[in-house]
Amino acid sequence: MVKYELLRDLEEYLKAKVKASIDNNVKDIARRFGYLDYMIARYLNMFGSIDEVLDLLNSFEKPLNPVIRCNKLKVRDCSYLVRRLKALDYDMRSIMWEESSYIITKLGKVSLGATHEFLLGLYYLYRGSASLVPPLTLNPRSEDVVLDMAAAPGGKTSHMAQLMNNEGVIIAVEVNRIRVRALRSNLERLGVKNTIILRMNAVNIPKLFSEYFTKVLLDAPCSGEGLIQIDRSRKTKTTLNDLLEFRRAQIALLNAAINTAISGGHILYTTCSIAPEEDELVIAEAITRRDDVKVVKMPEIDGLNFNEGLTEYYGIELPNEVRLCGRLYPSKHGMEGFFLCLLRKL
Amino acid sequence: MPTKKVVKGSAGGIECVINNGEEVLKLIDDILGRDASKLVSRLGKVMICKGIFKEAYIISDTLTEVIKVIFSKGYIPYSAGLYIGRIRRSKPYFIPSINLLQLIYDELGLRRAIVVSDEGLKPFLYGNDILRKSIIRCYEPLKKNDVVGIVGTDGYVYGIGLCTIESCNDLRRLRDLDLVAKNVFDVGWYLRGGTETRERMFKI
Repeated sequence: MVKYELLRDLEEYLKAKVKASIDNNVKDIARRFGYLDYMIARYLNMFGSIDEVLDLLNSFEKPLNPVIRCNKLKVRDCSYLVRRLKALDYDMRSIMWEESSYIITKLGKVSLGATHEFLLGLYYLYRGSASLVPPLTLNPRSEDVVLDMAAAPGGKTSHMAQLMNNEGVIIAVEVNRIRVRALRSNLERLGVKNTIILRMNAVNIPKLFSEYFTKVLLDAPCSGEGLIQIDRSRKTKTTLNDLLEFRRAQIALLNAAINTAISGGHILYTTCSIAPEEDELVIAEAITRRDDVKVVKMPEIDGLNFNEGLTEYYGIELPNEVRLCGRLYPSKHGMEGFFLCLLRKL
Repeated sequence: MPTKKVVKGSAGGIECVINNGEEVLKLIDDILGRDASKLVSRLGKVMICKGIFKEAYIISDTLTEVIKVIFSKGYIPYSAGLYIGRIRRSKPYFIPSINLLQLIYDELGLRRAIVVSDEGLKPFLYGNDILRKSIIRCYEPLKKNDVVGIVGTDGYVYGIGLCTIESCNDLRRLRDLDLVAKNVFDVGWYLRGGTETRERMFKI
């Protein structure tokens, strides 16, 4: 075992270790499920058990039911929305840990993204339920000053606005010209009015706001390795080099996120990826190189039991506090693969 | 006399000004009534950003303080607070947003509005105009070539039209397929082209 902070060149170390772990068994499984070899090799290292890996791969084959969040900024009583959708032949069941959200169990006559109710902003549509978790974890209140660093298309921003009763401030940042329009369009449709949209690279936010925000959400751009149920191309889309490139950008964004938070403020780092390179190895970099931030325990969300963050990966011993981060797997939680880690600025 | 405290910022050819909103409140007063402009004035300050379009937003005091910081660093917001509409040099001088109309209708009742049948809403949400046969109720004041709220039977605002009639009385002389309101903006835009610039023809 080698301690993370003592590793001289993590990228070269990982490339060599991952390559060495690809054997015929790995290749067989990769071929059977249509993945790149290195992904399966990593899963075996992460889980340590072939049965768990097969569970994960089989769960990635099952389609996800769409999820809607009743938009309480526009709907006082969500049963009104449910009645309207049932009249369109939809059926749904409540999500135990998110009172205003529903899993669609039967599709209706009109596409969920084209109903009058959608166009009027009575609900927000998700491909799965994992995206509901970050706002609940950060749990912003109306007195908070919140930064949402990669905000488009606005599902998490609008959910946070709902939790804040449309009061306080959210600064929603998006750099991409097309995606920022979608962000604005969604926030307007949903009646969000406590938000300022900034079109800029979020890495530069500390130039405008240094030690300013009480809560920061960094839902970092990532490989999407947790979204294979939704997008099968992700089985073969990302190489290990790509992942390491994502990691470099994620570290820069996380450092910016920490720099913009006030002392005592919280930073929630999330990705829709189960790749440790984009998850624990990003957190480990921040907490070993900086002395102004630490990982804190994730708040309890009733009915949602996170898996712990990994503290060991290919013989690398990560700081023990990374264990406090949370992982969501389709095989265990019935939603997209997701990673969350709550940090506190000292 | 109203105070003339003005906060400005500009970037990329767009200039934003925060003030007490005299210009836009006057326009709201003209088309939706004094009670509507009073209601809007109570919601916060007004930010007007002028580039290709001239757009108005209501911003809370808390948002105002944050925007001042943004201005001071040479940036401007892409949007902020509650978008309330677009100001123009020619008729229609003000195109209210769906959210502004809904707020006014919910708080003060319908005015400058037509209630449209479900059958009429469907083509409207594909960008089509409103015909006489689709209209269930009509609320004054209306004015030819000025804006009118398009409301569903459920009370929600589904879009904004440009009126072809001078008053609700004119509906009596129209035939089923006569045009009553041209489509300026409808919520179907969120589905059709949420990433495209809306109200394209209505620049400053």
